[in-house]
Amino acid sequence: MLWAVLPAGFEGPLILMLVSMVAVVGIGIYSGNSGIVSFGHTALMALGAYASAMMTIAPDDKARLLPALPDAVIALHLPPVAAILGACAVVGVVALPVALLIGRLEGSSASIATLGLLLIVNGVLVGARDYTRGSQALFGLPIAVTVPVAAAFVVLAILAARAFRDSRMGLALRAARENAAAAAAVGADVVRARQAAFLLSAVIAALAGALYGHFIGVLTPRAFYFDLTFALLAILIVGGMTTIAGAALGAVLVSVLVEVLRRLADGGTFGPLTLPPVYGLTTIGLSLAILAVLYRRQGGLLPYVEPDEVLRPPARPAVPPPAPARIEAGSGELRAERLTRRFDGVIAVSEASLVLRPGEILGLIGPNGAGKSTLLSMIAGSVPPTSGRVRIDGADATGLPPHRIARRGVQRTFQNIRLFGNLSVLDNVRVAADGGPWSRAEATARAWALLDRFDLTALAARPAGTLAYGPQRRVEIARAVARAPRYLLLDEPAAGMNAAESDALLDLLEGLRRDDGIGLLVIDHDLRLILRLCDRVAVLGKGQVIAEGPPEAVSRDPLVIEAYLGRRHAGDGRGPARSAATSGAPGQKTTDQHERRRDP
Amino acid sequence: MTTALRTTTTTTAVALALAAGAAQAQETVTVGFAAGLTGYLAFYDGMVMQGAEMAVDEINAAGGVLDGRYTLALSVKDMRSETPAAVIAARDLVAEGVRALLVPCDVDPAIAAGQIGQQAGIPMIAACASTPTLPGLVGDYLFNLKTADNLQAAVLAEYARAQGYETAYILLSPDTPYTDLLPRYFAQAFESLGGRVAAIDTYAFDQQDFSVEATRIAALDPQPDVIMTAAYEPHFPAFIQQLRNAGVTAPVLGSDGIDSPTTLGIGPAADGVVFSMAGFPVEGGTLAAFYDAYEARYGEDLPFAFSATGYEAVKLLAAAIETAGSIEGAAIRDALDAVVDFPGVTGTTITYAGQNRVALRDVTLVEVRDGEQHFVLQARPAPETTPKP
Repeated sequence: MLWAVLPAGFEGPLILMLVSMVAVVGIGIYSGNSGIVSFGHTALMALGAYASAMMTIAPDDKARLLPALPDAVIALHLPPVAAILGACAVVGVVALPVALLIGRLEGSSASIATLGLLLIVNGVLVGARDYTRGSQALFGLPIAVTVPVAAAFVVLAILAARAFRDSRMGLALRAARENAAAAAAVGADVVRARQAAFLLSAVIAALAGALYGHFIGVLTPRAFYFDLTFALLAILIVGGMTTIAGAALGAVLVSVLVEVLRRLADGGTFGPLTLPPVYGLTTIGLSLAILAVLYRRQGGLLPYVEPDEVLRPPARPAVPPPAPARIEAGSGELRAERLTRRFDGVIAVSEASLVLRPGEILGLIGPNGAGKSTLLSMIAGSVPPTSGRVRIDGADATGLPPHRIARRGVQRTFQNIRLFGNLSVLDNVRVAADGGPWSRAEATARAWALLDRFDLTALAARPAGTLAYGPQRRVEIARAVARAPRYLLLDEPAAGMNAAESDALLDLLEGLRRDDGIGLLVIDHDLRLILRLCDRVAVLGKGQVIAEGPPEAVSRDPLVIEAYLGRRHAGDGRGPARSAATSGAPGQKTTDQHERRRDP
Repeated sequence: MTTALRTTTTTTAVALALAAGAAQAQETVTVGFAAGLTGYLAFYDGMVMQGAEMAVDEINAAGGVLDGRYTLALSVKDMRSETPAAVIAARDLVAEGVRALLVPCDVDPAIAAGQIGQQAGIPMIAACASTPTLPGLVGDYLFNLKTADNLQAAVLAEYARAQGYETAYILLSPDTPYTDLLPRYFAQAFESLGGRVAAIDTYAFDQQDFSVEATRIAALDPQPDVIMTAAYEPHFPAFIQQLRNAGVTAPVLGSDGIDSPTTLGIGPAADGVVFSMAGFPVEGGTLAAFYDAYEARYGEDLPFAFSATGYEAVKLLAAAIETAGSIEGAAIRDALDAVVDFPGVTGTTITYAGQNRVALRDVTLVEVRDGEQHFVLQARPAPETTPKP
């Protein structure tokens, strides 16, 4: 059937397909890497097309059509390819403030902002009648886009998109797409990566728009509005927004589908079949295709992984992994000073103070709801404290965002595992390693070395989200170590592990302290693990540090037993029981005592 | 928009030759049409296509062109009322080797398709786009056939002055050349004849509600003698109804964009509206005969003048080929450019000589009454009244 309908006059549709491929590859740089659907790139295409029109329409025609233009613009008369590149540069400049603004936004608010961009640009193009001819057609663009020209720009767009995807920023942005909090926790500057992605994708969208202009020869603002936006989104939905190959495949499939349906819609005889003309078949067919893809494969036909990443297993770089020097004991300390956090009147953490030194393991225990995770989050920057200070090696770090805390040498893991589920295990660790003081190749080598150390080598290429629970925990810790932190905050690292896994984990954490000299803060409910692992243990009850000291002493402290196990057990010294009741432990009463204990 | 695509068979030369019984060896001259068979142009382009089909069949039945050496064929490509698709359709048609091209009814796609035909040196006719600047914008291969906006405006202005209207309110939309230029031409002609423009208001193309404009007109003191607009669907029906609801009784003048069934279906609000068009089927006239033939072929629907200009376009091309004695593009173009007093089926003669490829022809005014069109007058405006494109 394809054979029967393809040959006659396929050049035009082929060029349109290539131009739409440039457009969707460009949109993918932002939307695919960040996961944010953009409605605004058609506006950027419009700007590119109009900018190129200003540079190519013959000066006489321009003076006649757009007399309000400044003389310098009217005099411009560049050859089309130069103008197309010039238009990209112009749009790059115009898009810079837009990128800085929209790059700060996440999720659906960013999508809405891009929709606003579409409406604003359309309104300006329609309204600035004296400069654009408004709703009327602006024409006279030299028709210069042939199949080889379009194909060359497709290659250029794909190379740019791939370079960004594989760059540190691209990887960081993809990580943030999978889990924003975790990306921040490993120190990725997601905002800057998103801004860069938007800017680059704006330039490629402008390229697509200019190509379109020099293929059609006529521009109207209407051509770059909702219809085109949804046509391009349809391509991304079908092919898969998150990969370049998906965008390209989507462009091919949708274009072929549209062409075939268009010809079928005209009716005629195809072999033994004689079909009546069915107008509207194209729209119906395209809608059904989108529904089918959405129903069967939500991420599109080629989601998340580029085909070459499947075919070629990830390679180890030739360089040796960098070996950060063991952290000196006494070279500083992480201090939480009287940290308090209120949530609408509820005091989650009250005046809690802790000190963590390199090379030690501090346990943080306490009943459910005692505020352990909140305290950890305040230190890590993801929950700003209501009052109190955080000092990292003497420098005040209070109120810094998580990615800046991470850059100062404090890394964390999460109570609910937060991996970059659709990225490979290797990439999960690489994102964090990318932030270290070493080259890209060395970062990759370090990621591999950590996979070896955490027994994850065989899983390197697997999407992290497909791993079992134990390995997921190990990936998270490997990732937290990758940037060579001085302090590591682990929120229930052994939760959900079986005994064997838990033992192996203990050895790994021991190794981090022994070999790397990292200071570890470990929250866990598993008292056996805490007692075996920790040099010191702090106990949190009702948001306050009620005891701190060597594990043996703390485990016998009646206050701790009362807070942890309930008043019934207080004083009997029988140790842990199954009950995790949090009743009792009147806070005020204990303040003096625990102040005393903390500073013996 | 009601789809006028009742039987849209793509005519092939072979089938036609057989049907006509013309058995001798003939070559085919194909006329291409990049037509919006779907989308907002379907009503207009569909009608042009059917008119063109009738002309092709008629010419072939009479033996073709150039002493029977050639039969005509019509090749239609759907451009889905989209400008990019119009470019592709035009390119496909050029690649097919068409000798002449009909361009779509709206200006943007007409320019887009026109650029392709101009580059390829193929004579083109815009059978229903009436913007008189179109041929100048595209180049020397494109000819306007429909009653040009400035001609319509001039006849409307002459009529308005003859009715004794002194002041005019004008509603235009700068969003398309048609809705922008035609009322401005009217204003120019109206003033040159001693009338006065009381106010010019604008509407946006995505506007659906005209209560603001209606209220503003109702508040004018004194009321204008006449209201003129080139608005068409969906704007015109909304405007006229809200205007009458607001209590405005001033007569309304419109243009050929409202030559559609919708206007006749508006009801009492549209009564008394006078608008310009390409021709009216007066009893015993050529247009009445054409409409009879059209109804016989395509069914019961009331035909509109777009079908007649589609028919005229092919007839004109055939005549130009005869005059040129050739099917070469430049020769056909030169022959078209020299046409004087070609008898159009709409009941007027058509002249291109000296007109910069904008057809000089009569304009017909009709009045809407009780859901029907009633003939008012047919005239060619005085050259000094006609605004320059």
